[in-house]
Parts: sequence; C-alpha cells; structure tokens
Amino acid sequence: MGTNGIIAETRSLSIGYRNRNRISEVMNGLSLSARRGELVALIGRNGTGKSTLLRTLVGLQPPLGGSVALDGNLLGEIDLSQLPRLVSFASTEPVALHNIRVRDVVSLGRFPYTNWIGTLTEEDKEAVSVALEATGLSLLAERSIDGISDGERQRALIARSLAQDTGLLVMDEPTAFLDLPSRYGIVSLLRKLTREKGKCVIYSTHDLDTAINEADRIWLMTGDGVSEGAPEDLMLKGLLARAFESPLLTFSITDGAFSFVRSRQTGIALEGKGKAAKLTARALARCGYITDPQAPLNVRVNEIAGAFEWTVSGNGAHERYTSLYDLVTHLPQIVK
Amino acid sequence: MNSSRTRIAAAMTGLVLLMILLFMADLFLGSTRMNFSDVLRSLFGHGDPGDEIIVMQFRLPKAITAVLAGAAMSVSGLLMQTLFRNPLAGPDVLGVSSGAGLGVALTLLTLTPLFTLPANSLFAGWGLILAAWAGAGAVMIVIMTVSARMRDIMTVLIVGLLLASAISAVVSLLQYFSNEAMLRTYVIWTMGNLGNISYPQIRALALATAAGLVIAFMMVKPLNAMLMGETFSRTVGVRMQRTRIVLLASASILAGSVTAFCGPLAFIGIAVPHIARLVFGTTDHRTLMPGVALCGAATLLASDIISGLPGGGHIIPVNTVTSLIGIPVVLWIILGKTGLGRRF
Repeated sequence: MGTNGIIAETRSLSIGYRNRNRISEVMNGLSLSARRGELVALIGRNGTGKSTLLRTLVGLQPPLGGSVALDGNLLGEIDLSQLPRLVSFASTEPVALHNIRVRDVVSLGRFPYTNWIGTLTEEDKEAVSVALEATGLSLLAERSIDGISDGERQRALIARSLAQDTGLLVMDEPTAFLDLPSRYGIVSLLRKLTREKGKCVIYSTHDLDTAINEADRIWLMTGDGVSEGAPEDLMLKGLLARAFESPLLTFSITDGAFSFVRSRQTGIALEGKGKAAKLTARALARCGYITDPQAPLNVRVNEIAGAFEWTVSGNGAHERYTSLYDLVTHLPQIVK
Repeated sequence: MNSSRTRIAAAMTGLVLLMILLFMADLFLGSTRMNFSDVLRSLFGHGDPGDEIIVMQFRLPKAITAVLAGAAMSVSGLLMQTLFRNPLAGPDVLGVSSGAGLGVALTLLTLTPLFTLPANSLFAGWGLILAAWAGAGAVMIVIMTVSARMRDIMTVLIVGLLLASAISAVVSLLQYFSNEAMLRTYVIWTMGNLGNISYPQIRALALATAAGLVIAFMMVKPLNAMLMGETFSRTVGVRMQRTRIVLLASASILAGSVTAFCGPLAFIGIAVPHIARLVFGTTDHRTLMPGVALCGAATLLASDIISGLPGGGHIIPVNTVTSLIGIPVVLWIILGKTGLGRRF
C-alpha cells in the first residue's frame, strides 16, 4: 500500500522515445499523482503526448528520466511477473476480434494468474463473473464479441481490465468512437468502479464535458507540461480555457463548456418569451448575430394556437416565417 | 459453454476417425490395384512379397509422411497467422520454403557437375534433404536475427517477403545456367512429393515435427493473448520479443523440415487453419492447435489419395492436388458470407 492511498506517482518524469542513438523527448518535469478510489481524466489536445504518458505509466516504454512509482514501488524495480498484478492497460490498438465470446475476452484478463496453458481455476472464474457483473455484461457473456455494440465491446475491454484484479486501471481513450449516451455510460461506469471497488482509474479522453463533470482529478496536458487538480481548480486558474481556446473556440466558466467564436456580429433586436425566444436567440447566435435591443432590425416570436411564427421588420422589410430554419436562411438578404 | 464443448469434442472425435479412415484408404488405394486382404496380409508380413514391397516400402511411408507433413505445415501456418495477425500468412511468407529451394537448386546446379553425378541420383539419399534443410535454416536464422532487432512485427513480415523474392530471383538465375536434366530434377522437386522417403528419413522428419509441435503447444497461452493485440499481451506479462523468436523457430522447424523432405507443399499451411476455425468455431489455440494438426493430416492424406487416382503407375503431383483443394477453400472463405476476417 502506498502512503495516503497514492497508487501512482511520477517525479520529474521525462517521457518520449529512444531510438538507437536518437532521443526524442515529448515532455519533461512531470510530477503527478493519483489515489485509490479516484477517477483521473487525462486531457489535452491531439499530439500532446497523452498516449506516451500512459504507456510510460504502465511500463510499456521506459522513462527518459525521472521516476514512476506504482503502489510505492519504483517501476524499474518491480518484477515483470508482478507488474500485471499492479496495473492493467486497455489501449486504442485496433484489434479485429471475431469468433470469440465476451466471457473468453474477459477471461484473458486472468492471464497473469493462470497456469502455462491458461486453465481457469474456480477463483479465476469467480473474478470473471464479478467483472462481467460490474460492467453489466452478465447477460451478454456467451455472445460473440462481433455480435455486440461498440459501447458493449468497450465495456468488455473494461471488464477484461477489471478481471486482471489490479488496483490501478489505465485506459487510453475508452470513449473514442462512441455516441454521446455510450460515452456517458462508460465514464459513469469508470466512476462507479472507483467508488464501489476502490479502484484508481486513469483514462485519457477528448471528451471535456464528461471529464469535467465526472472526474475527481484532471491531468491537463499542454505544450508546457501537465497541470493537475480538480476540474474546478483548473477552470478557476483559467488553465482549461488557455489549453483549448483558439481563434475558433471560446470557453465559458459558467457552463463549463466551449462554444464557437462567430465572426459576423450583426445586431438584431429580439422580442418574445419562453422556450421559443431562447431557441431563437440560440439560432441567431449560431448564425453569427448578437441580440441587441437597440438594433434597427427586429425579430418577434409569436405563438398562435400552439404554432410559432417569426416576423422580421426593419431595413424596409416585413416578412413572416413559420420555422427558425426559414428565418435564419432568409436573414442575410434582409440584413444587406 | 457446454454446447461449444460438446461441439469441440464431437469435431475432434470426428476428425480422428476421418484421419484413420483416410490413412487406411491411402494404404488400400494406389496406382497398383490390390484387394483388402492382400493389403492387410502385407501389413502383418504374411503377404505376397511383391505386394509387401508396395505396401511396406511405398504406401505406408507415404501415408505416414502425409500425416506428419500435413500436421506440421498446418500448425506452422496457424502460428504465422496469429503471429502476424494476418489471415493470409502461411509458412512460406518468411522465405523458409524459398530458402529450402535455394539449397536444392545450389546443390543440383553446382555440385552435380563437379562430381559428374546424374542429377536424379540425389533424390535417392540425403543429399537434397540436407541441402534444403540448410537453406531453410539459413533463412530462419536471418529472420530471427531481424526479429530480435525489430520492434515492429510487420517489418519482419516485409523482410521475409523480400527475402523470398530475392531468393527466387537467385534460383531463376541458377536455372538459367543449368542443363535440362538438372532443371527437370528441380522442377519435379518443386511439385512436392510425399513418396521416396525411407524409414530413417521418416524418423528424422517425425523427430523434427514432434519438436516443432511440442514447442508450438507450449505457446498456446501467449498465442491466445496475442489475439487481443501486442500491447495487451505485453501488459499482461507476455515477453513479446522472446515469444516471437520461439514462435518463428517452431514455425520454421516445421515448415523447413517438411519442405526439405517433401518439397514446397502449397496452400496446406494457409488454408487448413481456416478450415479448422470453421469446424471448431473457436479461436482458442488450446483447441485449434490439435484441431489444425488433425485437419492438416486429413487434408494431406486426402490429397495423396487423389494424386494416386489416375492409376496405371501415373500420379498427379501432390502440389497440384493441394492447390486445387486449397484455392477453392480460400476463395470460399474470401467470398463466403462469413468473410475471411470474421472467422479469423
């Protein structure tokens, strides 16, 4: 057991690749930590080296400098046969899996514990069942892996890591290629594993929304290094905004979300109430207009017997539309 | 779980029976007509001396060779397909067969003129076998050296393919400078031949096959992990570099030895692992390894029976038969609704 429940810790870690006599350093000076029972999201833009950090953390590639400690033991000093019992890794490596049952995939997680031919003992079978149960796959256990959805497949890989029975689970982009509900499903499953099983899960993602809403700790990777803290700490310091803002994107602290920056900024006065007015404002913002009560051009939302209509007046025009789509497609002509 | 276990047990039993049946058929059928009791009497040493020679000196060694070579080539193919995660990989992708061919070509085209031997006299003894073995071994050592230095397994595959092409070019060059008799001997060697193997040679082949198969079976656990990809294998404790070298050694010993004794047998190594996956409905190497060996033995026995069908002392070269079986199987897998990738 590490002190303070710290299960993974890096000190002045330098990561990168060493090829014969050429060293290409991706990043250095990384001092990070993660505790048992914590969900840690590693976020950062493409090409910042998230995968390199994760691969270094699980011992797939040696650090260029500094150290990694897992459960209080230095990575280089852990016996190679013991390492798979401390940390599991699910990568983005595309693997064409066919003709193999979900249960068999999960059983492969028992690899470090089984004998030379891979026979499952009662204890191994129990661990596989528990992992299937925890990931909600019990009913799909006998199905072939090619007969289930992408989200279920990702769950199967999580179950495989879980069956490996390690305190630390590391996952590289477990939510890539999934639709929105599946992404939330996977991240809340990971969070559940930290809460109910006391695991530490470190995962990389491009999905800021779920990371900000679910993770206990964020490792934010930028060109300058990695900053860590609660999502709100990073927002308060303005680090999230700085990491992701670009000429196209702007970060809103109140929403905890990014939105596009629009270049056209024609003012339009908006009249109306309720949901319809809110959505009209949203549609106008999306198309590059800002609402300005003083503007000469006026859009009014009317609700007549449950149906909506929009009237535009000003600039010598007076038009009526029955959908927001018609409104925003015709506005440019009136604005001219 | 139980249904798949029953299926595997049934398929395994069925294949063993089929193999025994084909083995018997291979003894009874041949270019010389013999009835059932003549063959049986010859087997137990009470037959007509002429029959006995045919059964004991020709048919029995040929059938045993078919079993050994079929099992060895197929398991070699299975190892290559899992190692390279490529359904079209086979024992010949690494150039081991080409290496054996180079050994044979060099021996035929350089040594025979020196000693003024008739080209086909080499068939009788160990000459060509040792030459082929040396050629296959040399290629195997090159491939394993490359593999020990290269991280990426695809590099090894590409080096193997290039090596095979380069060796073929050298062989073509040698052929260009050779006379008709040598050329004929070489071409006949490339057609594959399960006969002409003496009992001491069978013993050597059996030993090499057993060694290769034992090594292969020791590797079923890492092979299963490798289905999930190389990164996964490494993080659960598979020592990839070592595992690769052991797998390459096993596959090369199997394919190299068979090629040395029987010539480059076509298609068995690529097609049989796919047939076995279809029959057993699993990718678990604990089942596939014996399953592929049985399927391979049965397939080569069947090919040998077909090659002897014309009768009257004529035989079809065994490679022609295996290709004619193998090509439709590969086509069926590629075009069939199950799809090549889906069964792999």
